[in-house]
Amino acid sequence: MDTLYLRRRLANALALILSSAATLLGLAFLAWILWATLRQGIAALDLKLFTRITADGEQGGLANAMVGSLIINLIGIAIATPIGVLAGTWLAEYARRTRLGETIRFLNDILLSAPSIVMGLFVYTIIVLPSTALTHGNTSFSGFAGGVALALIALPVIVRTTDEMLRLVPSTLREAALSLGVPQWKLTSQILLRAARSGIVTGVLLALARISGETAPLLFTAFGNNFMTLDPLDKMSSLPQVIYQYANDPGEAMHAMAWAGAFVVTLFVLLLSLASRLLFARKVSHD
Amino acid sequence: MTSRSMHAAALALAPSMAPPVAEPKLKVRDLKFHYDGFHALKNIRMDIAEHQVTAIIGPSGCGKSTLLRTFNRIYAIYPGLKASGSIELDGENVLDPRYSLNRLRSKVGMVFQKPVPFPMTIFENVAYGIRHHERLSKAEMETRVEQALRRAALWDEVKDKLKHNALGLSGGQQQRLCIARAIALKPEVLLLDEPTSALDPIATGRIEQLIEELKSQFTIVIVTHNMQQAARVSDQTAFMYLGELVEFGATERIFTKPSRKQTEDYITGRFG
Repeated sequence: MDTLYLRRRLANALALILSSAATLLGLAFLAWILWATLRQGIAALDLKLFTRITADGEQGGLANAMVGSLIINLIGIAIATPIGVLAGTWLAEYARRTRLGETIRFLNDILLSAPSIVMGLFVYTIIVLPSTALTHGNTSFSGFAGGVALALIALPVIVRTTDEMLRLVPSTLREAALSLGVPQWKLTSQILLRAARSGIVTGVLLALARISGETAPLLFTAFGNNFMTLDPLDKMSSLPQVIYQYANDPGEAMHAMAWAGAFVVTLFVLLLSLASRLLFARKVSHD
Repeated sequence: MTSRSMHAAALALAPSMAPPVAEPKLKVRDLKFHYDGFHALKNIRMDIAEHQVTAIIGPSGCGKSTLLRTFNRIYAIYPGLKASGSIELDGENVLDPRYSLNRLRSKVGMVFQKPVPFPMTIFENVAYGIRHHERLSKAEMETRVEQALRRAALWDEVKDKLKHNALGLSGGQQQRLCIARAIALKPEVLLLDEPTSALDPIATGRIEQLIEELKSQFTIVIVTHNMQQAARVSDQTAFMYLGELVEFGATERIFTKPSRKQTEDYITGRFG
């Protein structure tokens, strides 16, 4: 009796130690990355980072990249959100337990893990090349093309979260509304989407966080631009792409600016995740 | 006048003795229900009297909720479920696909096991269904909502917070809100699917009292797990077992002199 009890206690202690160690290991690297970004990034932060552009080189800043990132991300999320929410709604409400729905859900999951450089090349082929040919080279790479590439990355995230959030809505709510004679489209648009709203907004924010760190899909689409531009049909710079470029530069000043850029992006993503957490927590406590 | 018709007239004058003489509100004939090859209801035949409370009791899985869910065809939202036979509401078969769901559900309201308020204000919860079926002015709508909330014995508790989210109400209040939402459409039949099983005894008592009050305006069919509840609130009781309607009659008789052995075993707690 006693030896069996002792063995269980030992096994329990061992499992606890191993899983805690694994957690700590993972957290340690995360803390290291955050600490390095914070230390090097804050040291390099100054006002000219936000006021001057990359064309000024070592004396310059990242203003054009920040504005570019903002525009490209907004284009991406503006395209992906309506399509994603509608597709997710279709999957959850109209194609539940159908073969077509299952197939599309599976394909969406594949899209979710597709390499982002592939998205960049895809958009290069369907938008950049044709627009070059059509405009005789006046328009080729553009912030818009970058936005489309990011939309393709955000899309499966939004489809998935919308689908999942709607499937979390209890079926009794559907029955209750339908028992009043309310038709399916009213039920979906006025009750179910409202019930799942904060979850869906959380998904959109997470998708935004995801795309704001993407570099690869922008290389072949937005390309980069050392000057400030607000025209989405122009070549456009973005923070991740400038970080990539500056990190490869031999100059110390450029490295410092890359760190500062990395710090800004990390902070943005962190705040977005935090906002989505808060939003979701508030929803859960309401239920 | 023959002695026979005089006898009938005498019976009609003594309401406590007479069986329901009027045409039944709901007339169920040869009702069968299938899903996934499972025969859930077998040839149900049942007459539900107007302005009475009919309770359906029986052990888990006996088909009592399934039966209730055929009355407003709510089962039809899931693929693969099939009902055959007929359920006549005032003489018209509601299982006929030509009977419009919109019309059926405005006549037959339903309240579910768990309170499910819509994610909107208390006022909007009640107004939502009305708005789908009728065009009312703002003032008319306010009267209508108040009336429904009063009938559901909820008005005094919520009249100062109609603009608050309905999810902030207690479980018992939420369930009365669901009743208000259902009766706001002025249905003729009210289906209650174990309406108190998620509630505490005090909230349950209030709902039972409400059922008593509502039966003057509605024909009520209630499915319940709780035999004492069936005995307390209903006029007629149906006992179901394994998809069959074993016994159906006046509640008092079913609980004191059941004619079938299975009914007796169930109500005396020998199984179920």
